[in-house]
Amino acid sequence: MTLTELAQLGGSVIAVLFVVWLVGKMGLGADPRIEDDAHAIRLAEEAEAGFRGIEVARDRAGFAAIVRNAAGRQMLVRAHGNHFAARPIDASVMGRLDKDFLTLTMPEKTFGAVTLHLGKDAGMWASRMREIGRA
Amino acid sequence: MPELPDPVTYAVPAFILLLIAEMIISLRADKSRYEARDTLTSLMLGTGSQVAGALVGAGVIAASVWVYQFRLFDIGIEFSSWWWAWVLCFFLDDLAYYAFHRSAHRVRWFWASHVIHHSSQHYNLSTALRQTWTGFFSLTFLFRLPLFLIGFPPAMVFFCAGLNLIYQFWIHTEAIKRLPKWFEAVMNTPSHHRVHHGVNPRYLDANYAGVFIIWDKMFGSFVPERDDEPVRYGIVKQLGSFNILWAAVHEWVGIAKDVWAAPWKHKLSYMWREPGWSHDGSRATSAMIKERWRAGRPVEESAE
Repeated sequence: MTLTELAQLGGSVIAVLFVVWLVGKMGLGADPRIEDDAHAIRLAEEAEAGFRGIEVARDRAGFAAIVRNAAGRQMLVRAHGNHFAARPIDASVMGRLDKDFLTLTMPEKTFGAVTLHLGKDAGMWASRMREIGRA
Repeated sequence: MPELPDPVTYAVPAFILLLIAEMIISLRADKSRYEARDTLTSLMLGTGSQVAGALVGAGVIAASVWVYQFRLFDIGIEFSSWWWAWVLCFFLDDLAYYAFHRSAHRVRWFWASHVIHHSSQHYNLSTALRQTWTGFFSLTFLFRLPLFLIGFPPAMVFFCAGLNLIYQFWIHTEAIKRLPKWFEAVMNTPSHHRVHHGVNPRYLDANYAGVFIIWDKMFGSFVPERDDEPVRYGIVKQLGSFNILWAAVHEWVGIAKDVWAAPWKHKLSYMWREPGWSHDGSRATSAMIKERWRAGRPVEESAE
């Protein structure tokens, strides 16, 4: 790279950081929550064509939800920035129950682990996860 | 070999000003149009793309000049006497872009570099700058080579390509709904390009145009935006991460894993077949997604 190109690169990085700072300073962004079961089902169905959710375990704060279809397949939906992202829950997903909390660790490291506050339902959904592992 | 400036370099200040203007509009219209981490990812991917371009640019120019020596016609570069060649070059370059872009959505090897541009769930001017780092590796420059064979000087083609890129910047916005009918009929617009970035089954694999939407109308890939179906942006399997490096290479990693795990007779298919293809049918291509979507709609709607 030439000196001019390096200077351009430096200018670009400064401009990028300024714009990102401005986005934060202006208060742009959202705090998306899963409003109710119907919302969770819609998000799961949008994530996978043909998936039809029938049952939902929704995090108390609405950050994430597990949606199950009639065949027993489950989908994890979680907030991502201003939007949502989803992944199917299969045998490779690790589940950990801690009283009212269920933590799902996806095999995809960049997707990360998601902790859902499910109240008394947490145990039931944890055992459903174990069933997937055994299937 | 004559040289021309890169028009994109001169457009960068305007890009930044327009981005800030769009942010101010978003502040009033819809704050969720921007997200700081998404904007950072998009803009850093754009910056990385410039670095990648600088690193491989000499190779692309050398390949172009080499092909140019086999040209069919001698076309000059002076605008005063070759203005018609400039117009024709811009038009044909846009056709070459259409061919590249359609392939970039239909062949996984090309998609692996192009997916970066689609990996944001937002649709704003920063998304326009979310560009690939691996375009050279996926051989996307091949699509412009016919222009050099015809006889368009490489400097002219690259200048037109720069203008094409600049045009495509402003159409990445939700701030503009619809433009006058005559404009929407001929040109690529924010409305047409929103459809292109959509993951709604109705909108998948449509509107590949760069500047002129006529290519999509000619080749059967045009889908109009509907007011009753807002576009959901991103990719079929949303990235779910703001990791810049992962956004840049995730599909290449996916190809490598699939090729490694696949039976020998299917290995190449994981590179050249459409995104979502799998030898055991365990994944869904865009055609399969559309089919499932049509099957799940009421009969009268499916007949549309």
